[in-house]
Amino acid sequence: MRHLAVILAVLTLAASAAAVAAEAGAQITVALLPKKKGVAYFTSCAAGAEQAAKELGNVTLIYDGPTDGSPEKAAALIEKWTLKGVDVIAVSPNDPEVLAPAMQAAMAKGVKVITWDADGAASSRSFFVNQATGTQIGEAMVDAMAKDLGTPAGKVAIVTATLTAANQNAWIAAMKAHLASAYPKMELVAIKPCNEDQKVAFQVAQDLMKAYPDLVGIFGISSVAFPGAAEAVKQAGRSGQVLVTGLATPNAMKGYVKDGTVKSVVLWNTRDLGYLTVRVARALADGVLIPGATSFAAGSLGSKPVAGDAILLNNLLVFTKANIDQFDF
Amino acid sequence: MTGAWLRSREAGVAGLILLTVAAVGTINPRFLSVENARDILIAASPGLIVACGATLVIVLGEIDISMGALMGVCAAVLGKLVSAEHAGLPVWLATLIVLSLAAGIGLINGLLVTVARVPSIIATLGMLTILTGVGDLLMAGETIGGFPDSLRAFAIGHVGMLPMPVLVALACLAAFTVLTRETALGRRIYAVGSNAHAARLAGLPALRLKVLAFTLTGLLTGVATLISAPQLEVIEAGFGRQFELFVVTAVVVGGASMSGGAGSIAGSALGVLLLSLVRTALIFLQLGIGATYWERAIQGGFILAAVLADHVSRRRRVQR
Repeated sequence: MRHLAVILAVLTLAASAAAVAAEAGAQITVALLPKKKGVAYFTSCAAGAEQAAKELGNVTLIYDGPTDGSPEKAAALIEKWTLKGVDVIAVSPNDPEVLAPAMQAAMAKGVKVITWDADGAASSRSFFVNQATGTQIGEAMVDAMAKDLGTPAGKVAIVTATLTAANQNAWIAAMKAHLASAYPKMELVAIKPCNEDQKVAFQVAQDLMKAYPDLVGIFGISSVAFPGAAEAVKQAGRSGQVLVTGLATPNAMKGYVKDGTVKSVVLWNTRDLGYLTVRVARALADGVLIPGATSFAAGSLGSKPVAGDAILLNNLLVFTKANIDQFDF
Repeated sequence: MTGAWLRSREAGVAGLILLTVAAVGTINPRFLSVENARDILIAASPGLIVACGATLVIVLGEIDISMGALMGVCAAVLGKLVSAEHAGLPVWLATLIVLSLAAGIGLINGLLVTVARVPSIIATLGMLTILTGVGDLLMAGETIGGFPDSLRAFAIGHVGMLPMPVLVALACLAAFTVLTRETALGRRIYAVGSNAHAARLAGLPALRLKVLAFTLTGLLTGVATLISAPQLEVIEAGFGRQFELFVVTAVVVGGASMSGGAGSIAGSALGVLLLSLVRTALIFLQLGIGATYWERAIQGGFILAAVLADHVSRRRRVQR
């Protein structure tokens, strides 16, 4: 029933939006596309987006995406929204190559297209709402590990998503550089993919601990790799001896943080990322955000820096035993 | 007898396993620890269990590629049934439901192949696609957690010295070895697989044997899910993905012929062990971060070498 109401509202709005180009302050429709719908991470982003839409009062938000993460279905949604005549489409591309044609077609029809969470081809969007640069994320994970270890020395290993994941590879490059310059006594001995399979992450972490008995830390740099690696350390009874840190939502890691296997979980505030995305969408539709801007007034988030065509959320969080219960996503 | 066994495919794979273990153990003695052997066996257990059924299917000249997706559905159903956050059913009841579901899907595969006469690769590919979708639907992109300890004991419990999954795998291997080697049923399966026409003339119930093999493969996939899914605190979408590739490759490496008639439970088990060893071995070789991108190629090369070595030696035998 609620869905029907939303669809009707969207259709009405779409019709009016097509007739009148969005003026500043006019009601607009923003479509927010996650890589995968139904994932805790994106659901919490959507909650922030919802909040921004409510605050603004003149934004109708559509949040939809493929439940299986299929790029083809994501492209079909973009095409559907373009036909309906939404004002702004914000895309977190699960495959930049596959989505680029649909995004470009939308731009050609006058829809403002931006990316958020993960970037797409530069020719397929005007701005990118970036949670943090790859360097910031990579460095934050290394710093968290160094702090958790107390004395930042010893062998560490990375369990990554897949060897082709662009986000993860950018972080790994930053981690390598930061380890070399800031913590020369920490030695990166292995980088292993888990193919986004938690069981593989578990087994790889088990093998790493045995192959390198003096291993002091494992980075799990995806929301699948991190809990898998933490479970392996916990089951091996080496919680506290082999520290695990990385990126994941706090809910997935609460158990491991409480039993001491994990001391720090690095992530950005996902609600704020959704919030910022809708704010950027509104500003684009109003013509307030133009290329060349260096800062962006993001409502309750204050001013956020703009670097080239990327608006930075710039707000990495480190969840620890002390604060993890305050977050629910 | 002994001489014949030494020249068999099983002996070749066993030799390759020993060679790998010896070589990696020399470079990194920690590879030879009891702990490592235990973890490798636990990781190999689901493959060992499902390979028993897959061997029968392949010996009968058919193929099943729906096991990975079935595992995903079984894991999702199991999670939803026992998790305190969902149905919260008692573990025995959930176990029964999952096993019936798994066997039921296997039965449907078997009926599609025999009664509806759909080629098995197409029938099970269709099933794979359906089950992948059902699995995603059930998981809805979330993870399922909150399992009772009695369920987790299936995967992380011990009976004496033996980890539960290894015990279950050994039991399956023993049962299927007896089935294939010592019973009339087993002999009929090989007869149908090596010469379907002659078997039909001899009045062997080829279709019923195939339905049985597919149903058993489904059931064993359910068993494999029960002893592997609760190993982690949460079940996530995509559990079991590409497991079918692993099992079919292992069975073929272990000597089964895709055209039917040849293959053994022992060979398939050795194939699973060999493939399970490779990834762990590569980590113990400590090749460093420069080798990260090479490892998949090394894994693939290893599989090809194992099969090629056998073909070459077999040709030599024939020439002699």
